[in-house]
Amino acid sequence: MIFVTGPLFGGKREYLQKVLGLSLEELSARAAFDVEELAAGEEPLEELALRLSQFDFVTANEVGCGVVPVEAEQRRFRERAGRLSCLLAQRADTVIRVCCGLPQVLKGEWEC
Amino acid sequence: MLTLVVGGAASGKSEWAENLVLALSGQRVYVATMEPYDGECLVRIDKHRRQRAGKGFLTLERFRDLERLEVPDGANVLLECMSNLLANELYSPQGGGKAAVLRGVERLCACSAHLTIVTNEVFSGGKDYGGDTLRYLRELGEVNRTLAAWADRVVEVVCGCPNVLKGRLL
Repeated sequence: MIFVTGPLFGGKREYLQKVLGLSLEELSARAAFDVEELAAGEEPLEELALRLSQFDFVTANEVGCGVVPVEAEQRRFRERAGRLSCLLAQRADTVIRVCCGLPQVLKGEWEC
Repeated sequence: MLTLVVGGAASGKSEWAENLVLALSGQRVYVATMEPYDGECLVRIDKHRRQRAGKGFLTLERFRDLERLEVPDGANVLLECMSNLLANELYSPQGGGKAAVLRGVERLCACSAHLTIVTNEVFSGGKDYGGDTLRYLRELGEVNRTLAAWADRVVEVVCGCPNVLKGRLL
């Protein structure tokens, strides 16, 4: 599995489409996008990470670089989202961070 | 030559960008985009002015419509910052939105020897924002990606240190 992280609206999907030569439809069939949103639910993170690692491509937005949220629910979400990304990165063969549409390989071998 | 410098708040991106421009020979022009609408803006503008003092920049204040800004031909131009400029173009009644921003950059790029643009990394704190903020983020994200695609060099500044995302440092 290839895990793509990075800032919101950084161009993760567009990057994958471009580098793989896939249409959004073709990519979507093999990918899970914006998976940090799943961290708002109740599913145990290990199970969630295992389930998501069945996809070829997984993208998540970095959400942990702001101020600690006032709302407890938001704090829980942020914590779970960050931990989920760590678990996905552990399972991934390749981890890429996309910022301003530009890739940086954080783990594994990958021809950008 | 176009360089895009991206970084979080107080990451040292402005100073890093200034030093980059200082290393170039030729006239230096600073295009300041912050519109001073309150005392806090004035304090911030003053801080940046003092940071630039003695570095030989000609400062041009321009809050929108860069397309019609007169800059000396062949200068090394530092544009700071994109997040203010975009907000001015999006929310001012006279503003021309994202398209005006990009046209302005194209124009500056064409008439300067080296254009350096400072922009903000404000995309890693979640998307639980009120009002129009998420739309603003989406637009700024698009602008940043377009500029990064045009740029010869893209540098993310972290704690004052450069992380090169595209091109070479020197």
